Amino acid sequence: MLQDVRFRAIIVQIALLAGIAALGSMLFTATARNLELRGIPLGFGFLWRPANFQIAETILPYSSSDPNWWAAVVGLSNSLFISVLVILLASVIGLFIGIGRLSSNPLVSGLCRVWVEVARNTPLVVLLIFNYALWWEILPLATEAWKLAPGTHISVRGLSMPALGWSTSAFAPVAFVGVSAVILAGASYAARRRQIETGSRPAHVSAAWLFVAVAAGIFLFAYRDVISLDIPEFRRANFAGGWSLTPELTTILIGLTFYTAGFIGEIVRGGILAVRKGQWEAATALGLSRGQTYRLVVVPLALRSIVPPLNSQYINVVKNSTLAIVVGYQDFMTVVSTMINKTSHAIEGVAIILGVFLAVNLALSALLNAYNRRIAIVER
Amino acid sequence: MADTASNTIARAAAPDARSLLRRLAPFFGTPLNAALTLILLWLMVRLGSLLVDWAILNAALFPAEPETCAAATGACWSFVIAKSGQILFGIYPPAERWRAGLVCILIIITLVASARPSAWRPGLAAIWVGMMAIVLWLMGGGFGLVSVPTSSWGGLPVTLILTVFAIGLGFPAAILLALGRRSSLPVVRTLSVLFIETIRGLPLLSLLFVASILLPLFLPESLLPDKFVRALLALTIFAAAYLAEVLRGGLQAIPGGQSEAAEALGLNYWSTQRLIILPQAIRIVIPALTNTIIVMIKNTSLVLVVGLFDLISSGKAALSDPAWPAPSTETFLFIGLIYFALAFSFARFADFLERSGAEKRG
Repeated sequence: MLQDVRFRAIIVQIALLAGIAALGSMLFTATARNLELRGIPLGFGFLWRPANFQIAETILPYSSSDPNWWAAVVGLSNSLFISVLVILLASVIGLFIGIGRLSSNPLVSGLCRVWVEVARNTPLVVLLIFNYALWWEILPLATEAWKLAPGTHISVRGLSMPALGWSTSAFAPVAFVGVSAVILAGASYAARRRQIETGSRPAHVSAAWLFVAVAAGIFLFAYRDVISLDIPEFRRANFAGGWSLTPELTTILIGLTFYTAGFIGEIVRGGILAVRKGQWEAATALGLSRGQTYRLVVVPLALRSIVPPLNSQYINVVKNSTLAIVVGYQDFMTVVSTMINKTSHAIEGVAIILGVFLAVNLALSALLNAYNRRIAIVER
Repeated sequence: MADTASNTIARAAAPDARSLLRRLAPFFGTPLNAALTLILLWLMVRLGSLLVDWAILNAALFPAEPETCAAATGACWSFVIAKSGQILFGIYPPAERWRAGLVCILIIITLVASARPSAWRPGLAAIWVGMMAIVLWLMGGGFGLVSVPTSSWGGLPVTLILTVFAIGLGFPAAILLALGRRSSLPVVRTLSVLFIETIRGLPLLSLLFVASILLPLFLPESLLPDKFVRALLALTIFAAAYLAEVLRGGLQAIPGGQSEAAEALGLNYWSTQRLIILPQAIRIVIPALTNTIIVMIKNTSLVLVVGLFDLISSGKAALSDPAWPAPSTETFLFIGLIYFALAFSFARFADFLERSGAEKRG
C-alpha cells in the first residue's frame, strides 16, 4: 500500500495540513496567553471610539473627535490620492522617457538614460529622504516664494496653486459634467457600432462635441458669478486660498513619480522595441508621418507587450505609497499604526492593514487584467 | 601657387566639415531635435553651474572640522569625510570596525562570484553556507573575537547581511514553493499559491510591521527572536515569494519531455527535480535572479522604519551631532551614492555576463 502513488499523495497532504493546523494552534495558544498576561482585550469595538489624534493633511473632512474607523478611511483616501496622482503623472512622463531613450539625439537619450538608471538603482526610501532634506535646504521662505506660473508658488511651506471653486451648491456643475459625459459616451458608442457595420464613421461624435461645447459656453455664462478661480494670496506668513500641498505630500509626489517614471520608461522602451521593423516600414510605405506611425501603428502594437508589466508597476505604486511614513505624511499605514500605538489593538490594526492592502491590490489587478484582455491579440 | 594652396586647404577641410556636420546632425537634424538640444543644453548649463558651484567650487573639504564647513557657502563634504566611519558602520564598536569592513568585502565578493553562470554548481550552496557562517562569526564575535550583539550592528554591513541572508535563506524555500505551485497535489498547490500571492500582494512595510509588532504577541517570550532576526524573517519570507515566481518562470521553460525522460529512466520525483529539472531551470533564470538581488539590496533600506540601524539610520544618527551644522543633503547624497554604486555596478556586471553568455551560445 505504501508503494501506491495515490495513497502516498493523500498521506503527504494530510500530514501537511496537520502540521499547519498544529503550528496554528500553537501560535493561537501562545497569543491568547500573551494577551492575557498583558491584559489586552481583543475586538474591533475600538473602531467606533473617538480617534483623538490629528491628521495634518486630508482629502476627506476629518477632526480628531471622529471615530477610529473614519480616521482609517481618511488615511486610505490619502494613500489612494497619492497613488492615483503618481500613476497618472508617472505614466505620462514614463511614456516620454521611453520614447526619449530611443531618440536619435544623444543628448535626449543620454539624459533619459541617466533618469532611468538613477531611478532603478536607488532605494525609494533614500530618494524620498534625500528629496525631503533637499526641500528644506534649497527652497526659499514663504515671503520670497518662487513663482512657477501665475498664481502658483513654491516655498518651504509647500506648493500652492489656483483651484476652481464655486460659491453655491456643487449640484449644477456636477450634473452638467455628468450629462455631458453620458451624451458623449452614447454618441461615440453609436458611432463606433455604425463604423464597424458600415465602414464609414458618422458625424454623431463631432455633433455631440459641438453640442457640449455650446452648452458649456452657455453654462459658464449663466454661472459666471458663481464659478470662480480661487487664486492663493499671500497673507501674513503664508499663502492662503487655492489648493496647497504640504512639503511632505509634494516630496512624496515628486519622489514616487520620479522613481515610477523611470521604471515605466523602461517598459515603454521595451514595448516599442518589440514592434517589428516591418510594421514601421509598412507605415512609412503607406505615407504615414512619424507622429501618425507612432499613434496609429506603433502604440497600439506596443501596448500589448506594455500593459502586463505596466499593471504590476501600478500595483507597485500602491504598495510603495506606504513609504510616505519616512517623511511623515499620514497615509493609511501611518494612521493605522498611530491607532495601534494609542489603543494597543495591534492584532486588529495589522489585520486591517493586511486586509485593506490585499483587497485594494486584488481589485486593482482585476480591473487592469480586464483592460489587458480587451487589448490583447484576439486569436481567431 | 596660392590657388593650389587654398585648394588643398579646401580639400582637406571639406571632409572635416562634412564629418562635423554628420556628427552634429543627430543634435540639430530636425527642428524638434534642434529645439530639444538647445533647451536641454541651456538647462544643463544653468543647473550644472549651480551644482559645480555648490559641490566643488564653494564646498568645504579639508581639514574635516566643523569650522571648515562654517566658512564655506557650498557643500559640507568635511562632515561626510569626518563621519564616514560612523555612517558606514553605525554604532558598531569603532575598535572592531575592521571586522564589519571585512564582512562587507566578503559578501560583495560572494555575490559577484555567484552571478557567473559557471558558478552554478552544487558547491555554490556550500560556499554560501560557509560565507554566512563566517559573516555571523565576524560580526557577532565569539571564538576569540569580542562579542558584539545585533543591537550594535549598523550601517552598510546590516544592509548587505540582510540582503544575502534573506536571499540565501529564502532561496531553498522558494524552490519548494515554486515546485509546490506546479505540484499535482491539490493541497500543496493551493497552499503554495495562497502563500505566494498573499505575500506579493502586500507592501513589504506591512510584513515588517507584522514581524516587529505582531510576532512578540504570537510567540512565547522564550522563543522570541531579537529585532534584527525578526526583520530578517520578514525580508526572507518576502524574498522567498518573489524568488519562487522567478523560479516558476524557469520551470515553465523546461519542456515536458525532460521529466518524462527522467521518469522513463526510473528516477523518482525528487531525483528528477534535483538532477534534471532544477539545474536547467536555475540556469535560465540567473539574469532574473541578479535582478531580484538588486531589488533586495534596495528593499533592505525599509528596515529603518522598524528601528534597525541601516545606512540611513546611522546617517541620521551622525547628523544629530550638535558640533556640526547637520548637512543632511550631503549625507543622504553620500548614502544614495553607496546604494547606487552597489546596485548599478552589480546590474552592469549581470548585463555583461548575460551578453557574453548569449554570444557563447549564439
